[in-house]
Amino acid sequence: MLRHCTMAELLDIRDGEGSTAARAHVDDCGACRTELDRLYQRVASLKALPSLRPPRERWSTVRERLVSQRRRRWNIGVAVAGVTAAAALVAVVGVGGVPQLSLTNDVAPSAITPVELESLRGQSRQLEGLLREVEQHGRVIDGLTASAIADLEDRIALIDAGIEHATVGNAPRNDLASLWQQRLALMDALVNVHVRQVAYEGF
Amino acid sequence: MTLVALDELAIQRAKTGDLAALENVYRAYEGTVYTIARRMCRTAEDAEDVLQETFLEVCNSIRRFRGTGHGSLTAWVKRIAASKALMRLRAEKYRETDDLTEDGPSAAKRDSDVALRLDLEEALSRLSDTSRAVVWLHDVEGYTHEEIAELMGKTVSFSKSQLSRAHARLRRMLGEEAQC
Repeated sequence: MLRHCTMAELLDIRDGEGSTAARAHVDDCGACRTELDRLYQRVASLKALPSLRPPRERWSTVRERLVSQRRRRWNIGVAVAGVTAAAALVAVVGVGGVPQLSLTNDVAPSAITPVELESLRGQSRQLEGLLREVEQHGRVIDGLTASAIADLEDRIALIDAGIEHATVGNAPRNDLASLWQQRLALMDALVNVHVRQVAYEGF
Repeated sequence: MTLVALDELAIQRAKTGDLAALENVYRAYEGTVYTIARRMCRTAEDAEDVLQETFLEVCNSIRRFRGTGHGSLTAWVKRIAASKALMRLRAEKYRETDDLTEDGPSAAKRDSDVALRLDLEEALSRLSDTSRAVVWLHDVEGYTHEEIAELMGKTVSFSKSQLSRAHARLRRMLGEEAQC
């Protein structure tokens, strides 16, 4: 190589990616070798810059916002459970009042059986497993994807709160199933976001 | 710097959402996160906001953290911090308009720094937001150009050219005359 190395070429050499010609030139050229040494020194100096401490205490603010978020999610969870229970009550009253306790053994056509409910839970567990697999690579993600993931996770947390309330409050099985179906849809979307990320990396 | 050691049990407690355990996570990493944020962001106020946003994310997501041990938690927290800092830079539209070219008026102004012997921190702070972020993530935090490109939503060559320009500018600002 008849000319001196550019900064980009020196950086490539530093990162072990330099071309053979550039490496050979540095071996023979004192000026470029000096420049490469300076590059190493500059990076060493950057790494040696002192750690910094935040000038103000911030944990109390973080804590307050966490508590506030939890309270809001809890309230929404109560509201979701309340709305689903109310909707179930309206549905029951709307089709002819409170049913007689299984004397006639008739079941609404759309009634969810315990087996079906368990199947929904099982599907959710499967998606959780799949999610763990795609997440375990610990990849770096861009801001937009991170934001989409955070949004989906927040919505799943909300549904989880609703499920918890509905379970504790012995809400009708259909309402629980509706919540599990919403959870499945969100989990599916979340897995898709992660899978797309993997596909993008593969590409 | 006061460091709170986090063992596996402490991490497991934090995953349950226990506020005292989460505070321990905060104490263990506040310096690490603030340093990344401060080196990448232009102002201390921005860095403090990034610190806060990072720990809100950490506290809200730690139950989904799948790694084990302090080391992988450190990498996870750092990645969130870097992502939040980049989001902050992006939100501010990178403030400078000459991120993609060195030919703008700001570049000319910076070229007046030639032969000034600034200290490294000062020189770093005078880089454009994007260049500073790339230098810090690549040269100090050890991110690859592929990872940086993905975090920034840019190409690998963009990351490489930012790093190259940043070093050329640092060299000038530090008063190191080019040998070649």
